Amino acid sequence: MKIQSVRYLTREGFRNVWVNRLMSIASIGVLVACMVLIGFAILLTKNVNVYMSNLEQQNVVMVYFNDENSVIYQNASQLSSADASSNSSDSDSSDSDSSAKASSDSTSSGDSDKEEEAPKIPESAYLIHNEEEAKKVCAELEKIGNVESVEFISKDEALKRAKETALSDMAGAFEILDEEGGNPMSHGARVTLKSMDIFEQTIRDIEKTAGVHSVVSHAELAKTIADIKSGISMICFWIIGILAVIALVIVSNTIRVTMYNRKLEISIMKAVGATDAFIRLPFIIEGIILGLVSAIISEGILYFCYRVAADSMGDSFTLSVPFGEQALLLFGIFAAIGIVAGALGSAFMIGKYLKKEGSEFKAL
Amino acid sequence: MEAQLFENAFGPADENEISAVAPKPQTKPIIEFRGVSKTYATGTHALNDVNIQIHPGEFVFVVGASGAGKSTFMKLIMREEKANAGEVIVNGYNLTDLPRKQVPMLRRTMGIVFQDFRLIPTMDVFDNVAFAMHVVGEKPNVIRREVAKALSQVGLGHKARSKPAELSGGEQQRVGLARALINKPTLLIADEPTGNVDPNMSYEIVEMLSRINKAGTTVLMVTHEHNLVRDFHHRVIMLEGGKIVADNAEGAI
Repeated sequence: MKIQSVRYLTREGFRNVWVNRLMSIASIGVLVACMVLIGFAILLTKNVNVYMSNLEQQNVVMVYFNDENSVIYQNASQLSSADASSNSSDSDSSDSDSSAKASSDSTSSGDSDKEEEAPKIPESAYLIHNEEEAKKVCAELEKIGNVESVEFISKDEALKRAKETALSDMAGAFEILDEEGGNPMSHGARVTLKSMDIFEQTIRDIEKTAGVHSVVSHAELAKTIADIKSGISMICFWIIGILAVIALVIVSNTIRVTMYNRKLEISIMKAVGATDAFIRLPFIIEGIILGLVSAIISEGILYFCYRVAADSMGDSFTLSVPFGEQALLLFGIFAAIGIVAGALGSAFMIGKYLKKEGSEFKAL
Repeated sequence: MEAQLFENAFGPADENEISAVAPKPQTKPIIEFRGVSKTYATGTHALNDVNIQIHPGEFVFVVGASGAGKSTFMKLIMREEKANAGEVIVNGYNLTDLPRKQVPMLRRTMGIVFQDFRLIPTMDVFDNVAFAMHVVGEKPNVIRREVAKALSQVGLGHKARSKPAELSGGEQQRVGLARALINKPTLLIADEPTGNVDPNMSYEIVEMLSRINKAGTTVLMVTHEHNLVRDFHHRVIMLEGGKIVADNAEGAI
């Protein structure tokens, strides 16, 4: 095809958009509706992912160090467990949120082997005698790969926090302990994890660290977060996929109606000796233009809606993903959908008419 | 050179000049049907063993009652239909086994005028004519010049920017004629070109076609109007029941 023909046909593509403006508007409307829905699904997925990641980051574990208090409690615990019936071990295991993971594992199993492993804590080599030693343990914890940060909490601070957060009827008990001169708390640390994907492995690593008595974690919460995250991602993936297919089908149908309305034009083109490529090109260019215009409009609508949604949300819940960060990606996806739907839809749909000759067009 | 060619295609207005450029007889036919039969999928026998030759420079009327096979005869020449038997040769193309990709090239050697004009309604008069030149990849400056000339030749230079719907039937048919001739075809096929115009305009159109023919273009015109056939004294092919029942010179029916 000659260059002047390409120029002419490109101009014709633009002209056709304007000349057949009602059909153009219909096509753009359909495309925009699908693109906006796809955009919403993408932004929802992104926001959920970020929100869940934030939850993951906030999901810290409490690590209690091995000092004289923990030894007293451990021994007391062992004495009580020895006196208790065998059923008591089952009830201990259900209290997973507040008990040390390592301890709960060992106590819940009921195996004699694991019972032998339980008194590992009182070894004097691992006892923390002062804050300096506790901070050294914190430094060791920071070396674990999946540990984001470690915040040391001294036993005094722990008692202070306990008093602040204790219920009014419990507060008295802390006062008595204080007056007796004994602080029942142990040194500890708030450990923030990087990723929840290797949560259990990280907990095991923390437990193995010298000086660590126990770890309190929310393993079930972590698993729930991961499940919700993958579930929402999967749902959004299917929504996007189904909407993309619907967009293609609807746009193809719209183009078919357009072709039907312009069958006379196609028959005349054929009668004067136009090749298939010559007839097809303006329709493809028209499809691309409609696709790109739809992409721009969809981007605008989505931006506006996103801003409105962000402004109307309260302080407790905000949209975590700035629209600007996703604007290019969204436009790329919209443009791709628009161009593919417009160009391929036109190219395929016109094929039916290109095979027809003269009077056959009247029968269509 | 281009302008001269165009002038030749439309022919001079003066009858004396017309006779001076009358076509020379040539032996090789521009259209040839050899034992052509056409039966549609519905079982209708449209043409039955048709043999005919039309030579360059001829003006031929094709007449016959409805269902005689006139339309099929024209469709086979334009390669809108394929023959079931026999050979159709047009402008050197054997249409029996012509690949689909070659069909546009065949059609560029002929101009076609339709009864219903077939102008693109969304294009103005100028663009409707220019369109046929764009199809063959002509340069924009040549298109501008030649289309302007063609429109003034058919008396529509002042309506170049009008839409087809704003023109009368006769004017629309003149636009169709300008489009058919703009690429200077060797063969002009007119499928009842006077069917949708008034009687005076019918004569005007056939006169125009006669001038074009005198300038060297072969003209094949399907018509129902016997008075036109009688008045213009050209070769007449009469079809009946899918067969050629008469082939007379000088307008004899």
